[in-house]
Amino acid sequence: MYIKNIKLQHYRNYHELALTFDDRINVIIGENAQGKTNLMEAIYVLGFSKSYRTSKDKELIQWEQSYAKIEGTVLKKHYQVPLEMQFSAKGKKAKLNHLEQRRLSDYIGALNLVMFAPEDLNLVKGSPQMRRRFIDMEIGQIKPVYIYHLGQYQKILKQRNHLLKELQRKKQHDLTLLSVLTEQLIEHASIIIEKRFSFLELLRQWAAPIHQGISQHKESLTINYDTTIDVLESYNKEKIKHIYETTFSQNQRKEIERGTTLFGPHRDDLLFYVNNRNVQTFGSQGQQRTTALSLKLAEIELIKAEVGEYPVLLLDDVLSELDQHRQSHLLNTIQGKVQTFISTTSVSDIKHETIEQAELFYVENGTITQQRRG
Amino acid sequence: MYYPEPISKLIDSFTKLPGIGPKTAVRLAFFVLNMKEDDVLDFAKALVSAKRELTHCNVCGHITDQDPCVICQDQSRDDSVICVVQDPKDVIAMEKMREFNGRYHVLHGAISPMDGIGPDDINVPALLNRLKDEQVEELILATNPNVEGEATAMYISRLVKPSGIKITRIAHGLPMGGDLEYADEVTLSKALEGRREL
Ligand SMILES: Nc1ncnc2c1ncn2[C@@H]1O[C@H](COP(=O)(O)OP(=O)(O)OP(=O)(O)O)[C@@H](O)[C@H]1O
Ligand SMILES: [Mg+2]
Ligand SMILES: [Zn+2]
Repeated sequence: MYIKNIKLQHYRNYHELALTFDDRINVIIGENAQGKTNLMEAIYVLGFSKSYRTSKDKELIQWEQSYAKIEGTVLKKHYQVPLEMQFSAKGKKAKLNHLEQRRLSDYIGALNLVMFAPEDLNLVKGSPQMRRRFIDMEIGQIKPVYIYHLGQYQKILKQRNHLLKELQRKKQHDLTLLSVLTEQLIEHASIIIEKRFSFLELLRQWAAPIHQGISQHKESLTINYDTTIDVLESYNKEKIKHIYETTFSQNQRKEIERGTTLFGPHRDDLLFYVNNRNVQTFGSQGQQRTTALSLKLAEIELIKAEVGEYPVLLLDDVLSELDQHRQSHLLNTIQGKVQTFISTTSVSDIKHETIEQAELFYVENGTITQQRRG
Repeated sequence: MYYPEPISKLIDSFTKLPGIGPKTAVRLAFFVLNMKEDDVLDFAKALVSAKRELTHCNVCGHITDQDPCVICQDQSRDDSVICVVQDPKDVIAMEKMREFNGRYHVLHGAISPMDGIGPDDINVPALLNRLKDEQVEELILATNPNVEGEATAMYISRLVKPSGIKITRIAHGLPMGGDLEYADEVTLSKALEGRREL
């Protein structure tokens, strides 16, 4: 799939913008603080209905304006889909085929995206939260109903943590209520874990050979799921549910003492091993970067396999962070098949033949001039 | 923007209503200034008497100007079924359908520890008392189909189950995560038909 065009209104530092994109490589060039990331972010928001940079939608609206609008047309193999996101003080609206979608899980997934920014190079080393977000976003765009379960889970978790706090402070003594919230939590937790397990299985299949390729067969990558309960990845939902039930009932006192939920997907993590050593603790910076790159490239192939089409790739400022070898590995892999947006302060930083046929966009203070090469 | 005090007070009052932002409040306030004095007086009286003359029915918790309410007083209704809802508006929505002939119980909210609302803060204790005295055979739990509404239904069901009363939950046709209020009559009547036992 690819994005044919995009229109922005009052989005960040873009007052009005209309662009038509190349179906392969689009390079966004500009000095610092001109709007390169803002454009990448707008594309991301069009796909995921929210930003990765902020949780406050209000920040996306251009200063002094009352709303922001992003429209875009996504071309798929056999049809095209108009998408639209709108933000205002009243909240946000997501439209697919010009129809407003009440549930975001009905919207997300129409435009599949893989984003690779310098922060992502820290995926291995960074916080568990980053890795959970990585896995959740990926599953979410392949199986949007996952987002519904995740949302429900988070709401119940918040309620349950509040109740545990009250029980801890002896402001509340109702254990029946606790067991109701536990039952609700487990229902969604077990679905989330089951879906994460099957996603990981796919991720391993794609990431391992890619990692071997980048490391010129010197390294082999394995990925493990680190969870607070005693489960095997082969377990089905019912079995996982049962294990959660026993774990929660055995640890009720402990949870009340601590005043918070101690088990569940919000506590889990991903562990990466290169040649059987934990990359997070023992890996060199280069190995950590290779791992992050392998995961991103695996995502691209995984989405192709699951959804039937390649996603759109967003490379914000990341190419210059990669050495020559990793840079060309990345560009060779996507060449000719994945629509890619590359942002950079200078084109000469990118030494690869694909750039010669790229569409160039020069950004200056919220305006863009387009120039075709070759 | 500067407004004379009476107007800014009026604007302020309008912004307290749900769904009314500052701009709409200004529009409404200036609209009131141009209304006939009689209409304004009627409006003000209606506001005050709605608040003063309406109470909650001691039996079911529905809003009423007589206690018990007309629904609780109606001899022709079926005493063996109680439909539990979150809000008086839900009773009105159900009544408009004319398909349910049992009694109601209005909770005035749903369990939400986050907002400091426990079972005793909504009308649950009164419901349990009713079940002790009355000849109830079935309880329909029509709380909203969101996290808090579900928790409330599950909670009531846990407490009532040992008594042997049949408990059903409105299940189908409702928008996920939506509120009962927004369900149209057709989906609501389907929901009533398709209730599942808890
Ligand atoms: N809501 C907003 N309204 C108007 N301008 C905004 C808004 N949010 C951010 N900006 C402006 O957008 C600019 C930042 O743009 P952006 O992050 O896209 O820069 P960039 O081109 O990616 O720069 P760099 O090369 O440093 O990453 C800043 O000048 C910032 O003040
Ligand atoms: Mg940037
Ligand atoms: Zn009554």
